[in-house]
Amino acid sequence: MTALLNISRLSVTRGGRTLLSGLDCVLHAGEVVVVLGPNGAGKSSLLLALAGLIPADGGIVMQGRALTDYRRDELSRSIAWQGELPPTEFGLTVRQRLELAVSETRDGIEAAATAMDVAPLLHRPLGELSSGERQRTELAALMLRDAPIWLLDEPTAHLDLKHQIHCIKLIREQRKRGRAMMVVLHDMQQAMAIADYLILIDGKGRAEYGEAKRLFASQRMSRLFDAPVIRQGSVLIPEYGDLR
Amino acid sequence: MLRWSALVVAVLLCLLLGLATGEEWINPFAAKDALEQTILWELRFPRLLIAFAVGGLLALAGAWFQVLLGNPLAEPYVLGVAGSASAGAVSGLMFVPDSAWVMSAGAFAGAWLGIVIVMLFSRLGPNRMLLAGVVLAAFWSAVLALLLALLPEQGLFRAFAWMMGDLSHSDLPLAVLLAAWGIALICGLLLSRSLDMLLLGERHAEALGVDVKRLRQRLLLLASAVTALAVTAAGTIGFIGLVIPHLMRMLFGSLHRAVLPASAIGGGLLLVLADAAARSVIAPAELPVGVLTAIIGVPVFLFLLLRRS
Repeated sequence: MTALLNISRLSVTRGGRTLLSGLDCVLHAGEVVVVLGPNGAGKSSLLLALAGLIPADGGIVMQGRALTDYRRDELSRSIAWQGELPPTEFGLTVRQRLELAVSETRDGIEAAATAMDVAPLLHRPLGELSSGERQRTELAALMLRDAPIWLLDEPTAHLDLKHQIHCIKLIREQRKRGRAMMVVLHDMQQAMAIADYLILIDGKGRAEYGEAKRLFASQRMSRLFDAPVIRQGSVLIPEYGDLR
Repeated sequence: MLRWSALVVAVLLCLLLGLATGEEWINPFAAKDALEQTILWELRFPRLLIAFAVGGLLALAGAWFQVLLGNPLAEPYVLGVAGSASAGAVSGLMFVPDSAWVMSAGAFAGAWLGIVIVMLFSRLGPNRMLLAGVVLAAFWSAVLALLLALLPEQGLFRAFAWMMGDLSHSDLPLAVLLAAWGIALICGLLLSRSLDMLLLGERHAEALGVDVKRLRQRLLLLASAVTALAVTAAGTIGFIGLVIPHLMRMLFGSLHRAVLPASAIGGGLLLVLADAAARSVIAPAELPVGVLTAIIGVPVFLFLLLRRS
């Protein structure tokens, strides 16, 4: 498999606080790395650093070249980032939002909108949509990007169950097509459904990278989230206590 | 296409109306004598074109400031450029009271002083820059108040007329204003896709390949320069730069390849209309054109806002 991103001794610092340090990891084509950790641990910041959107110390090498050597427009051709929902003040419609994701032609907008169930909303301004519909619009915009690397920050946030499943299936489909993806998630079942590798960030500056099979253990997850996690059959679930 | 055609027809009608109205009604197609010809083509026509260019420049600057600051309430004077220009104009009037062009020169120098100070804050994010601008605007209005308090009485009327917008004696050559209108529009169109991406927020724009830092600097310089030019030509004319971009977004959508040309035309149209009213309502005296832009524009805007919701 082709290594698209080589990350060595990466440290990310924001507001004077070291979120993570000494991270080594490789992202290959057709591979999904899921990032897990408590709130504020630095998961989103890791993605921002890998997208070149915030500075980071250490080495990030993409296809043989340091990330810092790429121009902004070159980076955007190789890396697609999905993160916070865009603002809605200026009345962009769903179609216009999708047009901004494609480079030249407008081919594929209808197909992406249909795939993410936003085709009937194409003419509507983003400000009139629910958060879930806006998130689906962002995923449709992502589908229009040809970049070989996708960095997804909580892609299932705001989505109802049907569309969460839809999103997980999309990621699996893209993996089959050779897309390399790093995905921040909070739901362990979703993580188990897609992860080849995991990055665990503990909120105290430590980050661990390894095979998902090895790292998915109830005790390790309990420690990571400082919350009880139990194994039920082949899946890990939070222990909510007696629900009756 | 229908809306664009309607806009062009509206501009032509407004230009005709602007030619015809004034102290006396003159049919532009049937001037009775040489005097009427002179009034039409040597007095009213250049003034119409100045109004059109200034209105267009203000609307373009407004559209740019709104996207630059990520704030739909932004307008050309939001960062204090109008305040510094006014302070410059009144300073000129104070020190060289008899000169015809001193207010324009003072305004231009004042506007650029304001721009240079604002540029120092350009590396801050949009919110902090906006805050810095609002504080600077307060500073300049205090300076202006001080200067007005010290200004000899005979200069006060001229100062107030200028501050409320005055198209009656622009010191900038018409060709400069028209060229600026064209160049500003072309620059805007060249940047239009990056501006559209900036509507998604800085992060998204960067992730889509926009060099946001450079774009923001260019935009700030462009919008400020255009504002300085408009203020120098016609004083401070409010409302156009705030509302015309919104109006054009309602009519033509949010993408800048449509918003910018529509604003450049729509802003011109409104100022031509306001100037025609300013020259004719209490003729032979003139009303301040800045008052009329708001009196004409506010009801139209509110009506469209209500209809849309």
